Amino acid sequence: MDTDFRGDRDHHDGTSDATPGGYPQKRRPGELGFAAFLSGASLFLLYSAYGISGLESLSAPGAVPMATTLVMAVTALLITLRTAQQQRVTSETLAKDILPGTVVMFIGFLTVFGVLLQPLGFVLTAALFLLVSIKVLARKSWVYTIGVTIASLVVIWLIFRVVFTVLLPAGILPEAEFIQLFRNLVSGAA
Amino acid sequence: MNMDTLLALLTVFTQPQLLVLVGIGTFAGIYIGAIPGLSVTMAVSILISFTFSWDVYPAISLMVGIYMGGVYGGSRTAILLNIPGAPSAIATAMDGYPMAQKGEAGQAIGVTTVMSFFGGLIGILVLAIAAPFVSDFALTFQPRDYMLLAVLGILLVGSLSSGSLVKGIFAGAFGIAIGTVGRDPLTFTERFTFDLQIMEGGISFIAVMIGMFGVSEALLQLQNVTMKAVRQKIDKIVPSFGTIKKYLPLSLQTSTIGVIIGALPGTGGDIAALMAYDHAKRVTKNPKVPFGKGAMEGLVAPETANNAAVGGAFIPMMTLGIPGDAVTAIMIGALFIHGLNPGPMLMVDQPDMFWFIVGALLTANVFMLLFGLTGIRIFTKIVEMPRSIIIPMILLLSIVGAYAVNNSITDVYWMLGFGVFGYFMRHYGYPLGPVILGVILSRLLDDNWRRAIISERGDIGRFFEGVITSPLSLTLFVAVLMIFISQTPLWATVKKRLFRKAES
Repeated sequence: MDTDFRGDRDHHDGTSDATPGGYPQKRRPGELGFAAFLSGASLFLLYSAYGISGLESLSAPGAVPMATTLVMAVTALLITLRTAQQQRVTSETLAKDILPGTVVMFIGFLTVFGVLLQPLGFVLTAALFLLVSIKVLARKSWVYTIGVTIASLVVIWLIFRVVFTVLLPAGILPEAEFIQLFRNLVSGAA
Repeated sequence: MNMDTLLALLTVFTQPQLLVLVGIGTFAGIYIGAIPGLSVTMAVSILISFTFSWDVYPAISLMVGIYMGGVYGGSRTAILLNIPGAPSAIATAMDGYPMAQKGEAGQAIGVTTVMSFFGGLIGILVLAIAAPFVSDFALTFQPRDYMLLAVLGILLVGSLSSGSLVKGIFAGAFGIAIGTVGRDPLTFTERFTFDLQIMEGGISFIAVMIGMFGVSEALLQLQNVTMKAVRQKIDKIVPSFGTIKKYLPLSLQTSTIGVIIGALPGTGGDIAALMAYDHAKRVTKNPKVPFGKGAMEGLVAPETANNAAVGGAFIPMMTLGIPGDAVTAIMIGALFIHGLNPGPMLMVDQPDMFWFIVGALLTANVFMLLFGLTGIRIFTKIVEMPRSIIIPMILLLSIVGAYAVNNSITDVYWMLGFGVFGYFMRHYGYPLGPVILGVILSRLLDDNWRRAIISERGDIGRFFEGVITSPLSLTLFVAVLMIFISQTPLWATVKKRLFRKAES
């Protein structure tokens, strides 16, 4: 094994924590495109950084942005060049190893989550999200899925509202009234 | 040590609430560190937003516990399942798993726990002794020194955490650029806002962190949902005093390695553990069991080193405001949010804060020992929790975490964007640590660069004159240069020659 290489050897074994994957000598599907995208984006940002204060002085507000975007552009171009010279990994495809359907689907789920969060409220959106994603991932019966969803939702909701007192969008569910009702019950019983 | 210091150190013990929080944090940290796919960086970055409304002491207590427990927790799964729960436990798996296969899992866990405690203790001691000196020394730093130190930290993370330095530099520069978005705090000039109002306040660094370490990791995990765990038989856990005494000399050496590596800006527990493992292999002449087949030395070395690195990593973080690794970068973010400004002035203005953190670390270390030697049977059950439930939970927590800080949906979208971007970065071998370091250090770097250059009246020649005439600046500057030179073909030839000479 290449001593410089600390990525995962057999496809993301769950150990990654800012430890990158990739191959030291070969390029994965889409890697060249990604590098080219980074180069383009960096050049655009460099142009934008130049627009902040131009080459006015070294202590101008645009100085550090220009320096960093210049570094980004140079390194991204260098990476693109190096990547272009490498051979492709033949055993992998973009659709299977880099961006499989599940991942695309989950990016979609998360986007929808963001859209629905404020109008629907946290509890309903989260319930919907957990229900769909656990069903998709676990492929078990609806009884199992609904049971797990409700159990995890209750735990999360209790932790957020009670332990961390995080304010979450209430949406259409009368959450505050429910909490009040619960409080009344408890104080009534005491 | 005067009375005030001692009182600050004991804050944790005088307030039961804090003690409980450190305990909960450590306990949770052990499990988070152990469950593959959950990481300490992920947990702490999500927690920042949830503890946002808390007082600073309770928030720090919880996070310190998670950090300490998490570094240790990775070893459990490394031993039991051959899957390091955290990168700092990669070396632990090499000898820990073979021991478990031979039915010595309990013994392996026992020794690992005690040695982690020992390493952690040494790290904290060094932190307590060294930090005040470093902080005194740091008061003499010029703005240019801070700037150079920040650059050095980002470069080190970039060069050591992965194979490709160029990718690391790109990641670091990208992080700094993210940090400059919004209105410039000094002149109020808009930077990278593209005339959009939502960009004026800048990009929330918490959204960046959660995206990079929470969402991207969870997306990556989607590709191996159906991983099965292997059960191990657990025997006697608490190791005998004789065993501990036998490995004491080695553990002292590897703890020292851990503290030093941890204290270097940019290097953390994972590198310390690998270096300590290497060291153990070199100094152990006749191991009872060969390395890689279940040698006890192969467990002692990385585990003492990675826990010693925790104390070490706090030294540059608390005294210079320069994080030692991704987790400490996030800890700095947490301190920022609570209105604290890590750096030499912290030790002058709020020494209590420093001693409180030392006390919390010590407590977390003791809790780690307690929880480490108990509850292994329940542990194996929890670690086997199906990923089809864990992944949706991580994603849910990430969204809520990003939303909670500013109650803003925009932050959720930033987080998603950085999550997807980080996902591709992971796939293509770009390290994420430098991005976070860049974001955190951006302000410090920008401020100090401008201060340095203004004090030289905008003359770059005079700036370099200043660098060359000050021993400290020169050392830092040479170190930065060395990292670049080490990546050029020139260095490879020089290294080859040197090594050939050494061998002959």
